[in-house]
Amino acid sequence: MMKQYFDDLVNGIEAKLKEDPGSMSPRKIYALEVAKIGRRLYGGEERVAWCGVTAPFDLLAAMGITSCFVEFIGAMLASTGMVSEFLAEAEQAGFAGDTCAYHKSVLGAARKGLMPVPDFLIATSCPCTGGLAVMETLARHFQKDLFVLNIPQEETQQSVQYLADQIRDMVNFVSNHTGEALSEDRLREAIAHTNKAREIMVDVYKMAMNVPSPANGRLLGNFGIVVALLLGTKAAVDVATVYRDSFKEMLEKGISGIPDERIRLLWIQNRIQFKNPLIDILETQYNASIVSDELNDITWDPIDPDDPYIGLARRAISIPFNGQGSRRIKHLQQMAKDYKIDGAINPCHWGCRQGSGARGLISKGLGEVGVPVLNLEVDCIDSRNFAEGQLKTRLEAFTEMLDHRSSPWEA
Amino acid sequence: MTDMKKQRIGFTCAYTPIAIVDAAGFVPYRVLPVTDVPDQAGRILHDNLCPHVKRVLDRALENDLPEDLTGMIFMNSCDAMRRLADAWMTVRPEDHVMILDLPTTGGRTDIAFFAKELERLSHTLAAWSGNPIAADQIARSVEQYNQIADNIRTLNEFLAQGKLKGSGKRLQELINQATSAPFADSLTLLDAEIRNNQLNPARQNGIPVFLFGNVMPDPDFFSLIEDCGVQIVGNDFCTSTRMFENLPCTDKETLFTEISGQLLNKPPCARTFDPARPGKIADDVIQRAKSLGAQGIIGHSLKFCDPYLARLPMVRDAVQGTDIPLLLLEGDCTLRSFGQQRTRIEAFVEMLR
Ligand code: SF4
Ligand code: SF4
Repeated sequence: MMKQYFDDLVNGIEAKLKEDPGSMSPRKIYALEVAKIGRRLYGGEERVAWCGVTAPFDLLAAMGITSCFVEFIGAMLASTGMVSEFLAEAEQAGFAGDTCAYHKSVLGAARKGLMPVPDFLIATSCPCTGGLAVMETLARHFQKDLFVLNIPQEETQQSVQYLADQIRDMVNFVSNHTGEALSEDRLREAIAHTNKAREIMVDVYKMAMNVPSPANGRLLGNFGIVVALLLGTKAAVDVATVYRDSFKEMLEKGISGIPDERIRLLWIQNRIQFKNPLIDILETQYNASIVSDELNDITWDPIDPDDPYIGLARRAISIPFNGQGSRRIKHLQQMAKDYKIDGAINPCHWGCRQGSGARGLISKGLGEVGVPVLNLEVDCIDSRNFAEGQLKTRLEAFTEMLDHRSSPWEA
Repeated sequence: MTDMKKQRIGFTCAYTPIAIVDAAGFVPYRVLPVTDVPDQAGRILHDNLCPHVKRVLDRALENDLPEDLTGMIFMNSCDAMRRLADAWMTVRPEDHVMILDLPTTGGRTDIAFFAKELERLSHTLAAWSGNPIAADQIARSVEQYNQIADNIRTLNEFLAQGKLKGSGKRLQELINQATSAPFADSLTLLDAEIRNNQLNPARQNGIPVFLFGNVMPDPDFFSLIEDCGVQIVGNDFCTSTRMFENLPCTDKETLFTEISGQLLNKPPCARTFDPARPGKIADDVIQRAKSLGAQGIIGHSLKFCDPYLARLPMVRDAVQGTDIPLLLLEGDCTLRSFGQQRTRIEAFVEMLR
């Protein structure tokens, strides 16, 4: 079922692009590359590792592993409208209704035989406790070996070294499973791709900061977190390049992501992954554009190809969900400033203690820089209780309020 | 420290190395989620965080804490605990706060890293108190707290044998006391309790059951379980026996590494695990229940506790292959919902008869 889905997706986009090359948009190219990962995961021909969100996907790519964080599958199931039966399956098996539905859906899918059996699993302690638990559960379910990367909370010389050592151990773990040593050349090539993609993405995000922004509620949705899966490959460079070229052209021609952009919004944490009308309403009724997502940022330095483990460790530690809440809030405040944000939307994904747990402090922190936050109560994966009417009303009240106040960034 | 009266340093997790806190001249004080103050932590956190951290934050919000509590040590044990640390710093900005980064696994690199964290703790506590801490002092405190761990183990055995007056409720009262009072007071109390009970005859008071879970500090919980016809033969909660583990201190030069290795590899709570044996928690629960001669297992976890909620299905699956029935309860640190649970426990015990 999933294999068919990804095959159809890849073939569909490719056919469309062939038929009408003018229809090529950055989002399509990005979707195509992501769908190709899905196709490889489900193709049955490649070595597969299920991972945690902050695994070094570029290093794994250099070792010939198709790897993916499991939450990606939860998001896919939600976006295709198939998630309910898998959530029900997991709940039936005793996974509490109150846990993160990204994980529950994956557990349901594994129990129903819809997750390819991996060669091994690599868990990461960041971003969340639930993520680690699901990896342990999957390792037991699949009876496959598990490696854990403990991502330290703060960046210190000692913590970076600790993670770098673990990543080295991970390389040995992978080699022991594949029977192949890590090729220095392939690693160099992967790091070069990562650094190139990084450099271009910095430009892309900078351009998205323009007022009005070439970005909109869809173009870069979920981008920062998912593009990590492409790092280390040419696909990451290609995807970043089409975004850069497209944004450049839009800026030159004075085209914005939505017509008459009036309100600039920041989306906190993850998007609502199933189909819903909220973005449309924001854009068409209120000229409100989501110009960035919290994770659409480069928080790490280029990786030194001569000493990549340190750079890979720093990158994992740097993600805004890691460490103390104050660090996350500082990052959000900086984004608000860079993007001249009028208001932020926090979906407060039900079941996410990591993210929703910081709700009050995020509101306070963004409030301090004059940016109001709309806290929603949604499950970003589980559409079963989606209170569309209520959410619409709240969004409307919020955007109207923003419309009547001046930008916090006006001189 | 210049004050004659020792200041208290709060903590909230069974992985906290309280001997080091003691060595620094502070009284380690477990901030238990037990309070009558109104529920309001959801304003700062979110209602979907576990009642353990919410009730602890409620205490901070209402200042329902000892006056001489001047700092907190949080362990990076789970998302909820991290968020509690954030909130604590906002609510009580004048407190000293330290967050120790606790790995989730106990391998070679993890032990080395956590040893450095323990060293950092020791330096931080020294800075808070104004006095350096010598390795000798830490070794002495470790030995002292090992005596408490021995005593708690003995009392737990008394409980399993039906010898302990006041039973499970009394044991929990003693543990709560030992996690919040100065060492000497705790030791005196526990010694006396052992003396007073050791000659009591062993008694079979009910169906032998093994209890496990995360946070249940209310002593009445244990008597309510016993009132349903249960004899608690083993009790594995973060707030009970798991709180006190013997730590090694054979070599002062490598003290932190020794303590680190022991803490990371002690009988774990669900958040710490062995990647070589995924789901080992399930096998451990069964193995412990069997070795204690339990006829049934009762698991009690808090609502919204990711480490436990995510692993209980593994326990449930594993138990199905045995002849030991399992009852899973979910609570909120209080006995508010116990009315409904009592019926389930009674039915469970009835089935075991
Ligand atoms: S939403 Fe939260 S709990 Fe769920 S996968 Fe993401 S960080 Fe983890
Ligand atoms: S381990 Fe569970 S009960 Fe303890 S603080 Fe974390 S979520 Fe709460």
